Amino acid sequence: MARQTADIGIARGSSPPPVASIYRSRWFDFNLSRPGNQHKLGYILLLPALLLIAAIIAYPLILSIDLSLQDVKIARIGSGDQPWTLVNYQRLFASAEFWHSCWVTIRLVLLVTTSCFIIGMGTALLLNQVFKGRKLARLLIAIPWAIPEVVAVIGFWWIFDSSFGVVNWTLVTLGIVERPIAWFSSGAGAFFVVTVVMVWKGYPFVSIMLLAGLQSIPEEFYEAARVDGATAWQRFLNITLPCLSPVLGPTLVLVMLWVFRDFSVIYVLTQGGPINATETLGIMTYEQAFSFFKMGYAAAIGVVTLVICAVAARFMVRRVAQPLY
Amino acid sequence: MHRSPLHSAMLYLTVIVVCAIVMFPIYWMFTSSLAPTSQLKQFPPVFWPAEPNWIVYWESITERPLLRWLTNSSLAAAGAVALSLSVSVLAAYSLSRFRVRGGHELGLFILVSKMLPATLLVIPLFVIFRQIGLIGSLWSIVLAHATLIVPFSTWMLKGYFDTIPTELEQAAMIDGCTPLGALWRVVLPAAAPGIAATALYGVVLSWGDYAFARTFLTSAQNSWTANVGIATLKGEHFTAWNEIMAAAMLTAIPIIIIYLFLERYLVGGLTSGAVK
Repeated sequence: MARQTADIGIARGSSPPPVASIYRSRWFDFNLSRPGNQHKLGYILLLPALLLIAAIIAYPLILSIDLSLQDVKIARIGSGDQPWTLVNYQRLFASAEFWHSCWVTIRLVLLVTTSCFIIGMGTALLLNQVFKGRKLARLLIAIPWAIPEVVAVIGFWWIFDSSFGVVNWTLVTLGIVERPIAWFSSGAGAFFVVTVVMVWKGYPFVSIMLLAGLQSIPEEFYEAARVDGATAWQRFLNITLPCLSPVLGPTLVLVMLWVFRDFSVIYVLTQGGPINATETLGIMTYEQAFSFFKMGYAAAIGVVTLVICAVAARFMVRRVAQPLY
Repeated sequence: MHRSPLHSAMLYLTVIVVCAIVMFPIYWMFTSSLAPTSQLKQFPPVFWPAEPNWIVYWESITERPLLRWLTNSSLAAAGAVALSLSVSVLAAYSLSRFRVRGGHELGLFILVSKMLPATLLVIPLFVIFRQIGLIGSLWSIVLAHATLIVPFSTWMLKGYFDTIPTELEQAAMIDGCTPLGALWRVVLPAAAPGIAATALYGVVLSWGDYAFARTFLTSAQNSWTANVGIATLKGEHFTAWNEIMAAAMLTAIPIIIIYLFLERYLVGGLTSGAVK
């Protein structure tokens, strides 16, 4: 069974050659003055991607909506589908855990996004200065982007270790706290560490995007403002921020969506604990599906998450995708 | 623009301090991997071990199936990138060159599917893969990672194809190339750096995944990817932090090397689909 599917996958990937041989006879007189041929070719080239997307994205999406409408535990396809019911959604909106998860998610999204923007803006402004070794600095400042999330989590585990972590050592040595903090046993501590890891992983993206935006601002704007006697702060408020606004919007949405959807950082670090203090909607979805095997219920949480993402994405699509066509 | 020496000194100081802070976690993982176990369990912490214990890297690959995990990660990444790029190169070329009906909607769908929560997709994919017997097999990971790579690579490649002038293919077709021949012989070579960058991005995405691998590769340790493997290390009864750090470093190194190559494409890649 496994082999069969694999073969289908490969066959899809390499479908163009036979197509080419069928069409070759006609293509001898192919030229650009015959748009009819061109259209066909356009569709044929799209076909493999469409089939793959239909099989691995569109169909699973439909299936998960279907699951969310069934009262099922461990789902199977086709074998006596349950009648559709809204019971999962009713349970969901009535459960305190769901609203708690929403609240955790909102706090995390706001906290991480704000911090990422402050640090990202700071580093972008810094990297926009002209100095020797700027390329190296850019390389180093963006490096957390490249570290796999699980690796980052493992690094911070050790840094925040309750007995021998370097953070506790620093705090105790400086006399800020009397005894080491058990970061992962308190809700606030675990939430703080999750935030730190996500900010460390997330700010390079903001930094890179904003730097690209900053470099597109003409230097003349600043010179003119300087001639008029504007202070650095006025220049930032009246030139930099407005000129960055086309980049700021999409970056904001992308960072928020990333935090909103993230799974690995929180799951590996805390599994949503202690006592659900770091349980976001993503973690709750996963736990319900694969720890408690309530797949219908979990799919309902996933669909709600998707709807929230889609609303956020709409904002971005409207602002961004339009000029592309 | 001229700066006073004081201003310059401040600037360099800031840059150095910022770089030191953001690099600290990586530096700390590296130092801790080289410190002897006894010194990791005492204060003050080791900022640089007097005798770096390089043998730990050897131990971390011989005492656990880490090499196997890294191989699995590489195979999954190679398979997912090959599958995704073979379809998305054609689709991106079509979206870039042909006015196909529904192309706009497809573009939007691709953009939106970049935002799908993995925790939502993982449930139906698990149901499907279990039914067709793919659970526990690397093929499930190849297909699941393609859901991450196809949308983003189609978008990114379309951007690269848009920058290649159509005259190039027209010239090739006048010289007797078929349209597919022109794509293969003229457009693809011209877009090669962009395709390479896209492929490497795909590797980064695949290598970083934890949700799919954690769910589909449950049965045997030998089938795990590196991320799944190293995430279990802390749960072990005896926490040898130096070995854990060494394993984590070994998992990160391939991606850091790719990053050094990709850095100059970073803006184009990260912003693809976001800003133009």
